[in-house]
Amino acid sequence: MNDTAPSKVLLVDDEATLREPLAEYLTRQGFLVTAAASAAEARSRLREDKPQIVLLDIMMPGEDGLSLCRHLVESRDIPVILLTARGEATDRIVGLEIGADDYVVKPFEPRELVARIRSVLRRASRAAVPASENEILEFEGWRLDPLKRRLSDAEGAVVAISSVEFRLLLAFLEHPRQVLDRDRLLDMVQGREAHLFDRAVDNQVSRLRRKIEVDSRNPQIIQTVWGGGYMLAADVKRLAQPEE
Amino acid sequence: MSALRPSSLLGQMLLAVAAALLLVQGLGAALIYRAQRERFQADTMNAVAFRLIAETRGIDRAPKALRTGPRALFGDRLHRFAVETSTESPLQSGERRDVSAEQKLREILASQDFSAADVIVLRRAVAHDSYAQATLTRRAGRLDLPADVLDHAMDADLYVAGVRPAQGSGWMIARVRAPPGADALLVPLLLQTLALYAVLVGVLALILSRITRPLAALTRQVAQFAATQDPAGQVAPMGPGDIRRLIVALNAMEWRISSLLDEKDVMLGAIGHDLKTPLAALRVRIESVEDDVERGRMATTIEDIVRTLDDILSLARVGRPSDPLERNEMSALVASVVEEYEDMGEPVELEPTERLVLEVRPTWLRRALRNLIGNALRYGQRARVAMVREKDSVLFRIDDDGPGIPDHALETMMHPFVRGDPSRNSETGGAGLGLALARAIAEQHGGALQLANRRGPGGGVEGLSATIVLPFA
Repeated sequence: MNDTAPSKVLLVDDEATLREPLAEYLTRQGFLVTAAASAAEARSRLREDKPQIVLLDIMMPGEDGLSLCRHLVESRDIPVILLTARGEATDRIVGLEIGADDYVVKPFEPRELVARIRSVLRRASRAAVPASENEILEFEGWRLDPLKRRLSDAEGAVVAISSVEFRLLLAFLEHPRQVLDRDRLLDMVQGREAHLFDRAVDNQVSRLRRKIEVDSRNPQIIQTVWGGGYMLAADVKRLAQPEE
Repeated sequence: MSALRPSSLLGQMLLAVAAALLLVQGLGAALIYRAQRERFQADTMNAVAFRLIAETRGIDRAPKALRTGPRALFGDRLHRFAVETSTESPLQSGERRDVSAEQKLREILASQDFSAADVIVLRRAVAHDSYAQATLTRRAGRLDLPADVLDHAMDADLYVAGVRPAQGSGWMIARVRAPPGADALLVPLLLQTLALYAVLVGVLALILSRITRPLAALTRQVAQFAATQDPAGQVAPMGPGDIRRLIVALNAMEWRISSLLDEKDVMLGAIGHDLKTPLAALRVRIESVEDDVERGRMATTIEDIVRTLDDILSLARVGRPSDPLERNEMSALVASVVEEYEDMGEPVELEPTERLVLEVRPTWLRRALRNLIGNALRYGQRARVAMVREKDSVLFRIDDDGPGIPDHALETMMHPFVRGDPSRNSETGGAGLGLALARAIAEQHGGALQLANRRGPGGGVEGLSATIVLPFA
């Protein structure tokens, strides 16, 4: 990253105690940081500075982070990482539903935040945008909701998968009946847990199999291709999101 | 006996009032019955006295005042018996004198200046009275009545009164027919009493059920509120004034409780936010510390504070979760928690599980499992996780190979802020909320947390077994 022009980051948080040291830290990490103390200030900074990514606090007086996030997603193509003090699943889902790219829970490890900023920027810069997140992907009776990152079985029961497993499964579903080698999978799945993932593509695949295969020692859905990698041996149907 | 005693307000009140009413009405009926009998006796004795006086002084001089009773007492065309004069007392062996009637007759005669040396009154069937039989047979013959009429007439009862006047030596014996079935007085009285009783108890049951119906609705609603802390579906004020006021007061209290709980949630959210923001700032600032070891310690301290803060906030919120129950496949959920630890290189094993769907709050249940696995790793070096299905429950069991917990401390270990041996815990950190939270989460799902020491064949403790038991419908 450091060999290209520094990425412009807009940091929006009403708390000066966090905003100032975080801006300093991100600057030291090689980002070009603009800070805003409110949603209103952020809007004018957006026009003037044209940032490439926005770090957004959810809880702010006046217009809150979720509302600004919705505005950003609807009107501009700028990736958003939410900074939240709460880690409950409902907050995460609301944030991701209105289109945030990622979130961190305060107090986050600064290095992890940097890793996520880079990951989101990398994904945003790639032309290959994943399939519309407004669709539900169905295969062999299973359903994956990319928006809520939720996998459910034929009876509608939720099956817990980690975010790595989610991205791995999504990669398979985006390329049904294609052989994906380990490097390709790594490239498509690289996210915030990249450091975990590249250690064990096979391990992640076997975990995913444990959750979706009837017999994980004799996998039918995700098949191993000798010398090649893995392949989703199933058809994928795209269903519209149910209205809520 | 206790099976017969109703437990409901309606039943108890109805029973008590019905019993009291029965007593009062019974007493009333008894009094009425007695008064009627006395009146009947007076009428009968008046008729007897009339006979006697008419006999001795002539019918014209017999006082009209004595003709109080119904005409029947003075005889129909058959039962009109002339006064018999006899030298012997009318009392036959085996007959019982009617003492109270004698007393009455004496009084009446005295008031009419008829002085009697002796008075005997008794009751006797016509069948046992030859004089009356003779009279009836003679009359029937004269009136040319059929035999069955005579037989019927013979069935009657008589009051036989013998009086020995003060002057003179013989007995004057008067006979008056007792009205058929003096006991007939009793039947209408009983019927009347019972009818009144039924009406009163019916009205009472109606009023009482009007009182208790809103109470039943209120009980259901309060029980539901106790379970959900949601004041939705409150009972509209109804019923009598007292009940109405009770409903209004309870509704107000429920709103107050639920708004207090809401305030608590808002306050906890604010505390969480206000503490975590400066902690986040601190976490960012320590990145500028040059010494890696020192910075690592600072980061660990901040993590400890955050974990404790999260545990406290969670413990305060666990009874009122904001996220809904969701059907989840449990073997995947348990596996995903175990895999988090595998990724960190921790020695956690998962025993083979089978697919099983439960309604749970996954965020909370993961947290409980993490707390138990974390404890096992901290105090017992390694964790073995198993999910076992029993008849109507699912067990999530986490075993470690540690020293266990002294038996007497097993229960208190699940209380907030309680930790085991302080010397061992000082280095491991934590506020002692992990087990309390795990237990509260198990209870939030209608289950329980059980701690037990695993013992080997020699009786020595081989490790601790922490089990979350969830009901499986």
